[in-house]
Amino acid sequence: MTFPLTGAFLAGRLRDHLDHDDLAYIEDLIDSVEEHGDGVRLAESGVPTEKSQLLIEGFVFRTIETDKRRFIVGIHVPGDFIDLHGFALKELDHTLVSAGAVKLGLVPHERLETVMSERPDIARAMWFATLLDAAIHRKWIQTLEQLDAPRRIAHLYAELHERLDLVGRQVPRALRTPFTQLDLADMCGVSAIHANRAVGKLRELGIGEIRRGDLYTDDWDALKQYARFDPSYLYGRGALKLQDDWR
Amino acid sequence: MSSPNEFERFPLSGRFLAGRARSEMSEAERVRMEALVTRTEVLEHGHRVIARGQRSDHSTMLIEGFMLRTLESENRRHAVSFHVPGDFVDLHCFALQRLDHNIDCVGPARVGYVPHEAIVEVMRDDPKLARLFWFSTLLDAALHREWIMKLEQLTAPRRIAHIFAEIWRRLEMVGMARPDGFETPLRQIDIADMCGATAIHVNRAVAELRKSGIADFRRGRVVVSDRDRLEEYGDFNPGYLYAGEPAIPDSHSPRREHGDRSLSFKRKTSES
Repeated sequence: MTFPLTGAFLAGRLRDHLDHDDLAYIEDLIDSVEEHGDGVRLAESGVPTEKSQLLIEGFVFRTIETDKRRFIVGIHVPGDFIDLHGFALKELDHTLVSAGAVKLGLVPHERLETVMSERPDIARAMWFATLLDAAIHRKWIQTLEQLDAPRRIAHLYAELHERLDLVGRQVPRALRTPFTQLDLADMCGVSAIHANRAVGKLRELGIGEIRRGDLYTDDWDALKQYARFDPSYLYGRGALKLQDDWR
Repeated sequence: MSSPNEFERFPLSGRFLAGRARSEMSEAERVRMEALVTRTEVLEHGHRVIARGQRSDHSTMLIEGFMLRTLESENRRHAVSFHVPGDFVDLHCFALQRLDHNIDCVGPARVGYVPHEAIVEVMRDDPKLARLFWFSTLLDAALHREWIMKLEQLTAPRRIAHIFAEIWRRLEMVGMARPDGFETPLRQIDIADMCGATAIHVNRAVAELRKSGIADFRRGRVVVSDRDRLEEYGDFNPGYLYAGEPAIPDSHSPRREHGDRSLSFKRKTSES
């Protein structure tokens, strides 16, 4: 890969509309690289931040914690600039936690200030990147309002499959994740027992087999159809794909 | 600081970021912001400001009125958030090109339009204002996250209490709340679409809220006698609204004090 650190950033979406010079500029923003193990808190709700982190390898959860329980309100895949919004928001309303081992590229906020003043086109591309979060959140709200627990779980994996595909990490048969059954429950707003039952139903229906977070299926199309998954909200394929006159 | 006459001085954009980062805007930026709004229009109830997938060459400032962000599935409409005056409702369309959802008026609305060319210029020569624009679009995601959590967690009556608490706070930030609640063009069907519930289910939940004395919703008004109780019942913690400065003073009454709550982003568990 020409850009080993940022090659997945906006891949399958706005990346196609950036030229080599822009991409080199973005690669150059990474000040240092860090690796962490599972369960590390990468950004904390309410704590001011001075850098933003691009996920190079691994998965990250967005979580909201109350005194009663933890909620997972989003998942991140490689290429996601997981707390780029911290640059404009100054502090986050939620927490970022690694799910399994992760590799991150760090960009100090002073660098982002320079981007804002020197490269408005790249700033706009970054703005775009942060808006994908809201689009994904909207879809999650809809699935919570609309789908039962087995379909919600199928939708999660369908979304991950599509997002990994967009960043060039095609998943043939097994989508491997470090997610526990409890993580699945916390993403779907159900109890662990309920999640376990939903996983059993997916197996019975022949939609997919989930073992230790890994989902096995012979037919991704059938799974996506079952989950009523329409990829357009990810702005990669379908009705909302960016057109050439983006600039 | 947002002063009581902020909205008189800036009748089109005076509520933009009020109660949040408006105090960070210089006088020159406020003047520029106001001048960005080139044309105003009054829209009818049910008017679709922008449809999913539609291209647009301008973004819309909500000056007066109420709007819903909606998604549609085969058999129903889902409302995934709402807008109050001062919200730059489709500013994100500037960067996204096309939206993944619709924006619909609930009741009549007055709006102002800002051409995208003008936003390109702001990006080019005023990075600070551009960053505030960016900030304002990120509030959407924060609101959505809270709703995801509430949908995962709360029963219909509590969910409705949470929605009422959020509307009240947001109207208060822009100086449009009442001391005992707020006025709203929302109907029960809109609330049903915000909760993923049926109209009958919402009707029952609204009756329950009235009976237990938590909130009285009728004829376009929500009246609450005990705000703390409403917020506690709905498990409402306003940190996610990113309120960072005093709201525009309420025109109806002296402003209510919130203590630390509206100034802190921290949740109960992260305060230690």
